[in-house]
Amino acid sequence: MPSLVCGFSAGVLQVVPLVKSFSCCLVIPLSAFIALILEQKSTNNFNIISAKKAVMIGLFTGIFAAVFGSFFEILITFITKQNDIIITFPELQKMVGNFPVTEDIKKEVLHLFQNVRNDILTTGFSWLYTFSLVINDFFIDILFGITGGLIGSQIINNRNNNSKYK
Amino acid sequence: MSVSIRITLSILMAIWCVGFFFEWLIPLNEKLLTLLPFLHQTYSLICHQQKVKLITHNGFESLVCSRCAGIYIGLLAGSIFSLFKIPHRNPKIKVLAMCIAIMLLDIAAYSVGIYQYSKLIAFITGFLLGSVAFSYFYNGLIQLFNEFIKPR
Repeated sequence: MPSLVCGFSAGVLQVVPLVKSFSCCLVIPLSAFIALILEQKSTNNFNIISAKKAVMIGLFTGIFAAVFGSFFEILITFITKQNDIIITFPELQKMVGNFPVTEDIKKEVLHLFQNVRNDILTTGFSWLYTFSLVINDFFIDILFGITGGLIGSQIINNRNNNSKYK
Repeated sequence: MSVSIRITLSILMAIWCVGFFFEWLIPLNEKLLTLLPFLHQTYSLICHQQKVKLITHNGFESLVCSRCAGIYIGLLAGSIFSLFKIPHRNPKIKVLAMCIAIMLLDIAAYSVGIYQYSKLIAFITGFLLGSVAFSYFYNGLIQLFNEFIKPR
């Protein structure tokens, strides 16, 4: 349950316009850390957290963040027919244009993204965009969730040890 | 934890760090340009990627901001350091709290206009946090390995 709550919150933070511009690499690890604290409070068990448990909570926080993040992103794109790809496309064109590479490569890259952009503008959905979004979300959120779980468990255990000896 | 695992950890972290400096690799093989938008999307999940906060050199930009780059390079530095000296078993929580406080202080200071955003300060505060956080990550991994080797 704590993983679900924190994963949902992190997933929403990754998607909501404006809020996501404040997001950083600490959002998912922090969610896993908060999930560990909530887990301890909900079970009233303040013993040492095992690394296995920390990894599991981090993993599920990451999975829930990825599921909700991807779902809301796809849904918002479908409804509004707008997303970061559309907004940043002129910037991408400019950036690709400035690279010291051959014109063929530039055309190839821009053609690929022009297709994605057209699909989103007309139907609100692109298979390529959805595929890369889901893969990215799951890979990053799970990786950062597990890392956050491991680091978080060490911080909590360390703090609990210190307070025991006071 | 054996040296081979520590080396693998350092290599994985180095790959992650090379990933956000990907633009610098494109002149080596122009076909890499096709991967750039995908990597841009990958790193956008973990960083706001505001233009003014990115590390720039020779017209190329990093895919994460200075502070995030500092955190990851700090983690990488910690992993390389761990090859020569094993991190402390019980790192002091005060040190981590101090690194977080310094970072938050920097964010607050430039947000209220005490000084302009500085990529160098952001990088250094991120680096401090990353290098200290590595010892917690390392100890977490050791605990995990121990639990698998010696199950309760």
